[in-house]
Amino acid sequence: MTTVLRVFALALGLGWSFAPLTAQVYQGQTLVEASLVSDTTTIVPGQPFRVGLHLRMAPGWHTYWENPGDSGLPTTFDLELPEGFTAGPLEWPLPQRIIEPGDIQVYAYRGETLLIRTITPPADFAASAITTIKSRTSWLVCEQICIPGKAPLELSLPVGTSAAPAQAELFGRFDALLPSAGPPPFETRWTKTPTGWNLGLQGVTGGGRVDFLPLTEGTGHTSARDLVDGQADLAIPIDEAAPLRGVIVWENGTRRGWIIESSVATPVADAAVAPKTASASALWSYLLYGFIGGFILNLMPCVLPVISLKIFGFMRQAGDSRASVLKHGLAFIAGIFVWFLGLAAVIIALKAAGSEVTWAFQFQNPWFNFAIGAIVFVFALNLFGVFEIVLPGRANSGLAEAAGHGGLAGSFAQGILATLLATPCTAPFLGTALGFAFGQTPVVILAMFASIAAGMGSPYLLLSAQPGWLKFLPKPGAWMERLKQFMGFPLAATLLWLLFVIGQQRGTEAVIWAAATYLCLGLAAWIYGAFLGPLSLPRTRWLAAVGIALALLLGLGYFAGRLFAASAAAGPVENGAKETDGIPWVAFSEAELQRLRTEGRPVFLDFTADWCLTCKFNERTAINTPAVRAALEKNGIVAMKADWTNSNPEITRKLAQFDRVGVPFYLFYAPGAEEPVILPELLTEQIVLQALGAKTP
Amino acid sequence: MKTILSFLLSITAAAVVMAAPEVGQPAPEFTLTDSTGTSHKLSDFKGKTVVLEWLNHGCPFVQKHYVEGNMQKLQKEYTGEGVVWLSIVSSAPGKQGHMAAEDANKTKEEKGSAATAVLLDEDGKVGQLYAAKVTPELFIINPEGTLVYAGGIDDKKSTDPADIATSTNYVAQALDELLAGKPVSMAKTAAYGCSVKY
Repeated sequence: MTTVLRVFALALGLGWSFAPLTAQVYQGQTLVEASLVSDTTTIVPGQPFRVGLHLRMAPGWHTYWENPGDSGLPTTFDLELPEGFTAGPLEWPLPQRIIEPGDIQVYAYRGETLLIRTITPPADFAASAITTIKSRTSWLVCEQICIPGKAPLELSLPVGTSAAPAQAELFGRFDALLPSAGPPPFETRWTKTPTGWNLGLQGVTGGGRVDFLPLTEGTGHTSARDLVDGQADLAIPIDEAAPLRGVIVWENGTRRGWIIESSVATPVADAAVAPKTASASALWSYLLYGFIGGFILNLMPCVLPVISLKIFGFMRQAGDSRASVLKHGLAFIAGIFVWFLGLAAVIIALKAAGSEVTWAFQFQNPWFNFAIGAIVFVFALNLFGVFEIVLPGRANSGLAEAAGHGGLAGSFAQGILATLLATPCTAPFLGTALGFAFGQTPVVILAMFASIAAGMGSPYLLLSAQPGWLKFLPKPGAWMERLKQFMGFPLAATLLWLLFVIGQQRGTEAVIWAAATYLCLGLAAWIYGAFLGPLSLPRTRWLAAVGIALALLLGLGYFAGRLFAASAAAGPVENGAKETDGIPWVAFSEAELQRLRTEGRPVFLDFTADWCLTCKFNERTAINTPAVRAALEKNGIVAMKADWTNSNPEITRKLAQFDRVGVPFYLFYAPGAEEPVILPELLTEQIVLQALGAKTP
Repeated sequence: MKTILSFLLSITAAAVVMAAPEVGQPAPEFTLTDSTGTSHKLSDFKGKTVVLEWLNHGCPFVQKHYVEGNMQKLQKEYTGEGVVWLSIVSSAPGKQGHMAAEDANKTKEEKGSAATAVLLDEDGKVGQLYAAKVTPELFIINPEGTLVYAGGIDDKKSTDPADIATSTNYVAQALDELLAGKPVSMAKTAAYGCSVKY
């Protein structure tokens, strides 16, 4: 499959040299042109010179670095030298991190590369007029598919007493990309974490981005980070505690690299007491944002229905003693804390397992939406009065109980429920604070989540400590029953939203099967309410139990277990432009974005998801408007959409680059600009037009 | 007002990327249909040693092991000893290595594969579940359903069949140890190959 052509080119200069060229051709396309080059015109005895394997790849194809990453094979470059000659190790210029579908990351070269070795001829070399350096080389070149290539390459050089430089431009270009073995001009600090290493950088003057490319086999994926105040933290996952080698890459107009090795013995325990990269004041302001964000969670629509439940709880308690009210309040707050700290623990555990986790991940899982929908529906029926939750002799467990009861356990469970439903609501600054927390140590994550919990719990602490203020709440009465029934409607509306999300994730059929399951649950709830009261006859009770069992079996076993599960197999919606809203959206991929940028095209990048109401709101009111459409068209701006409705590691990573863990998020890449402009999360048409117009003359 | 409104509408969520299964932990359950249309569930093979082999016949690393019959020999030898060998194709439709059922059947015959079944994983779900990154990549599950080996086929990272003779075959080594009732000495190795074409 590899056709080898040999072309001899006569080099100009003092002497003359052969520079054979080999082309790897596959199905009529030249994939790689390989040649052996040297940085000298003449071999001078005793004087080291360099030879390079110059590979030029067809567009879109890549060959691999020393550590190929998850797949691929490093290029080999062996030399066969005349007697007495010695050769140094292979020097690899900085590769690129290329991400393929399925989160497969490789370190590779696109375009061209030059792999360099230094050769020292013996001082007493009295040679024939021309000396031939032979090499055996092999490589794997991949685009979507991989083709191995190999070539024996030769280079003949005259021997003389003086030499002139050759191929200076080529060697100069790749010399700049060779990682330095010396220490970098900034501070590095290694900290062992449960999942691998944290590499903290400090005092990097000039800004830009930093990345870590591992040389140690078995190292997991690292995400490049923007420098903030000359600082950045790189999380490097690896199983073994052995020293880790790799290359720090700093991009700031140019790319430079330093080979670095982790310090050997940093015990894990030090991680907790290691100095924080972020200054203390930054940490405090983030904790404050967390607190405010947590407080605002109380106003979120996904919490409002639960607030209604809590209002009933407070009103029931208003007649009780102050101490009792305070106890309920504290139990409720404890529930909030347990949820958030539990979430923090889960995130820490998942980070430890080497996963990428971002905020409120639950709503990307259709089964989670399905389960929450079931809970919400049953709650709504409860509020409508279809059934009452009768105080059972059994333990007050389960979220359902939380709605009906005022016991301490009930208050505690209400606290958990309130926060469970609040999780997906992140206000813009809360998102920022969380973005910060996710890159941090477990201690900081715990502190962050605790401050959110404190924020969310604060009004309840206030109300339960000053129960006098409860008297401002309306007096209990018959209207409460009406209010309770009415509150079923916002709850049912939440269900509509969940069904919408399920529909976006799994299609109309899934919505029908979910609704059918809920119908069965409703039937079971009605039977429970109507026939399982404390006054029912044993025979009635028995029949009712059978009825409930049948309804649950039909609902959960058949509709949910078989049909809903089967609809899930239909597969997720494709990432990208699936809406026809007048803007010619292009689906996001890092490769496409880079391609457009190198072409000098301006790109507007919209991170969105169907379950994100703010995103939809922005799209309808500020993005998909005639004026913005006209501006996009007039300025030749490519509209790119990163649809995060379903889990997508490439998008998650892109968000992480900007320390974001949630959508909405908007970027505008002006042509030629290093860094994109970050738009606010709440858009108006004016903001968008300004961003697009100001940067594109 | 609008700010407050969209503020209230702020609802965000996110992603958990499936963590790779751990050696020593229960192997994740899956169900896949093979090239003959038969459905296989991993737990159906409880009580037997199961090998999962990620396969893409277009990949030069896979070809290295199929062209001179190395993989077929392993399949034949160990299925002969009661091991279940499942070759899994996770290539997406239109990408290299993807095969429709009929095509997969024909190819299995042509290549002389002695695998118990060739499973089709078009949507890559099972590949992602096992975090399979390359072809060939192999997993071994013991009769109790525990993952006991994950990694490459051998220690010579190349596409040259000539290297097979001098390489240590990790899969054969692990299976021999398992069949002899011994623990697997090299339970985790670095797989090498082409990326799985998800």
